[in-house]
Amino acid sequence: MADNTHSQAQSKGVQTTGHVWDGDLQELNNPLPVWWTYTFYATMVFALVYWIVYPSWPIGKGFLPGMNTVTYVNAEGQEESWHWNTRAKLLFETQDAVKRQKPYYDKVAGLPYDQIAKDPELSSFVVSAGKSVFSENCAACHQAGGQGKVGFFPNLTDDDWLYGGSYEKINQTISKGRRGYMPPFGESLDAAQVDELANYVFSLSGGKADLAKAAKGKELFHSHSGACFYCHSDDAKGRQDIGSANLTDKVWLWADVPGQADDAARIAEIRKVIVSGLNKGVMPAWEGRLNAQQIKLLTVYVHELGGGK
Amino acid sequence: MSATSVAAAEQYDYEIIKKFSVMAIVWAVVGMFAGVYIASELAWPWLNFDSPYLSFGRFRPVHTGAVIFGFGGSALFATSYYVVQRTCQTRLFAPGLATFTFWGWQAVIVLAALSYVTGFSQGREYAEMEWPIDLLILVVWVAYMAVFIGTLMQRKQPHIYVANWFYLSFILVTALLHTFNNIAVPVNLFSLKSYSLFSGAQDAMTQWWYGHNAVGFFLTAAFLGMMYYFVPKHAGRPVYSYRLSIVHFWALSFMYMWVGTHHLHWTALPDWASTLGATFSIMLLLPSWGGMINGIMTLSGAWDKLRTDPIMRFMIVALSFYGMSTFEGPLMSLKDVNALSHYTDWTVGHVHSGALGWVAMIAFGSLYHMIPKLWNTQIFSVKLINAHFWLATIGTLLYITAMWISGISQGLMWRAFDDFGNLQYSFVESVAAMHPFYAMRAIGGMFFLTGMLLMAYNVFATIRQGVRDAELAGVRTTVATA
Repeated sequence: MADNTHSQAQSKGVQTTGHVWDGDLQELNNPLPVWWTYTFYATMVFALVYWIVYPSWPIGKGFLPGMNTVTYVNAEGQEESWHWNTRAKLLFETQDAVKRQKPYYDKVAGLPYDQIAKDPELSSFVVSAGKSVFSENCAACHQAGGQGKVGFFPNLTDDDWLYGGSYEKINQTISKGRRGYMPPFGESLDAAQVDELANYVFSLSGGKADLAKAAKGKELFHSHSGACFYCHSDDAKGRQDIGSANLTDKVWLWADVPGQADDAARIAEIRKVIVSGLNKGVMPAWEGRLNAQQIKLLTVYVHELGGGK
Repeated sequence: MSATSVAAAEQYDYEIIKKFSVMAIVWAVVGMFAGVYIASELAWPWLNFDSPYLSFGRFRPVHTGAVIFGFGGSALFATSYYVVQRTCQTRLFAPGLATFTFWGWQAVIVLAALSYVTGFSQGREYAEMEWPIDLLILVVWVAYMAVFIGTLMQRKQPHIYVANWFYLSFILVTALLHTFNNIAVPVNLFSLKSYSLFSGAQDAMTQWWYGHNAVGFFLTAAFLGMMYYFVPKHAGRPVYSYRLSIVHFWALSFMYMWVGTHHLHWTALPDWASTLGATFSIMLLLPSWGGMINGIMTLSGAWDKLRTDPIMRFMIVALSFYGMSTFEGPLMSLKDVNALSHYTDWTVGHVHSGALGWVAMIAFGSLYHMIPKLWNTQIFSVKLINAHFWLATIGTLLYITAMWISGISQGLMWRAFDDFGNLQYSFVESVAAMHPFYAMRAIGGMFFLTGMLLMAYNVFATIRQGVRDAELAGVRTTVATA
């Protein structure tokens, strides 16, 4: 085999180095491919140009700054040029985005709520900017489309509002935050009473409940021993000034009624809420984290998401 | 032919090579299965089963550890011990030390995997092992270095063959990288937890100096060493250019050392350091391609072998993927391209075009060539190698195509602004858009793993055949002498 390769190589006119390893391993004496050599030089020239354009070699305590510059506005409001660097570039890009958004934000700030929705250009701005502010700050709980999560966070895309769906109320909710609370009834009511109440609540939104139990539950609901009507009011439609839920619609936040397979399980979900109450309905206050313009924008955005009032 | 092989088996130390070869196959199966599993977790998250032990974060280093250090490492130990003996015409220096490197290295892989699933990690990519394992690695590596250099020094050949330069640079540089990247202070002597001696940007820079040179010397230089022996040996042709091999060896070794900072573009790293990383990556392109040219041109005049010999096909396709990913890498290291590609799946795709296309395929080709020689037999089935070749190629292409599409879409979605200057997509929308490509990637991995299982069976059958033949020969000799 060794002889074979050797003669083949020789027939092409290229000599081997004359070394042989492991019986037949040899190396030809071919020169460097010309295109390889020149492309290698070309990459070096490219590197040289890159060093001239961008910050490169460290020298002493500094470095070659490169010829490329970035212009941005400094803390004193003056335009300033600096050699290319990622910090200046970030400043420039952030300022540029703010500059492009500013005329729209100014218009939003200057107009009353109902006028914003009527201006087609402005309302498409609200949808676009509102979506990015919402995605960044609200979607973690209320989900990307604002549909919320049963058992955790309210759905913002329906027309059911715990604290009111007017622009002013939505603005207040976002600025100041909310704290939903319902006391637990597991100790003041016995199991039979809880079951009767759960049947009544289920029947309120058209669920197929045990009618006898529901009738007893209704009595308890309106009595001072059950005392549900204190918060949920006489008609069980809740009170938006304290954020108590409307029990007569099919929107469920805490009891996962829609997620259950049969009525028994649905009623059991309602029982759980009556027994344990609620102490987790906390929405943080966004005042101070978002500026007034952003909150106004979000208000319009959320109002448009569902059926704002 | 077989007469010379028998002679070779007596002439050289093959037991240690056999052990490492078998473990290379075992770790390939384990590591690739872990890879397919975590890829599937990303596509179908219920596969987490809500278990911390199976979660992506803990299982991912199990995958990378098993394929890089288990499969890649064992294949390198095996082939380097094979190549250095045969090209120096001598037995291994200190065979006892070589056996220690086998058990030590296997212990490292097992201990590392156990520590990851139980939640111990340095949090340094590809260097997740905590300090006691790091110390074990150091001891094993010094032993490896002693065996390799000792064997070179007792060579019966005046010149050192090119493959050995590459293996030696891999061993030296890995020792250097491992030591400096793992300088850490344990919380106390009985705690697995430790903290790096470096902090902030310097810590990140040390880590990626390690990280990229692990790619450069562990996964590139060492596998080029493998290529420089097995491609000309299997093709029966001389290496194309001795001069090119010298020039690209030194250029590669010099350039690689600088490029780690290209992993840290657009971070707290000083801009000048990131520029140097980018430019040395660009200048690394041709030195990398030197290896590809030398490998592919070695075959010139014997192209017909590609039609008939699937082992040769593995080697040439490996070199092609090597050329492609060493072109893609410098491109991605430019600041502006990196602004798009950084933190996206494009990076994952790039790594795998190198890992599956180059590293795994050149190792498959070399192991298919070497294993029958170690057991003094023929390969059990060439047809199975052919099937493995196609499964591996299709799997790799599916994988990298999926990651290109998904990575570039991610990059574009994250930076997309609408007419008002607002971000067009939320992060979670980009996650949702990735789903079909995550599924496609997992399927690509399944192709690759299926090919690997065929290889494991083929190698098992080959070894069994070799052992039986040896036993029969033994019986015959006994009968004849009786």
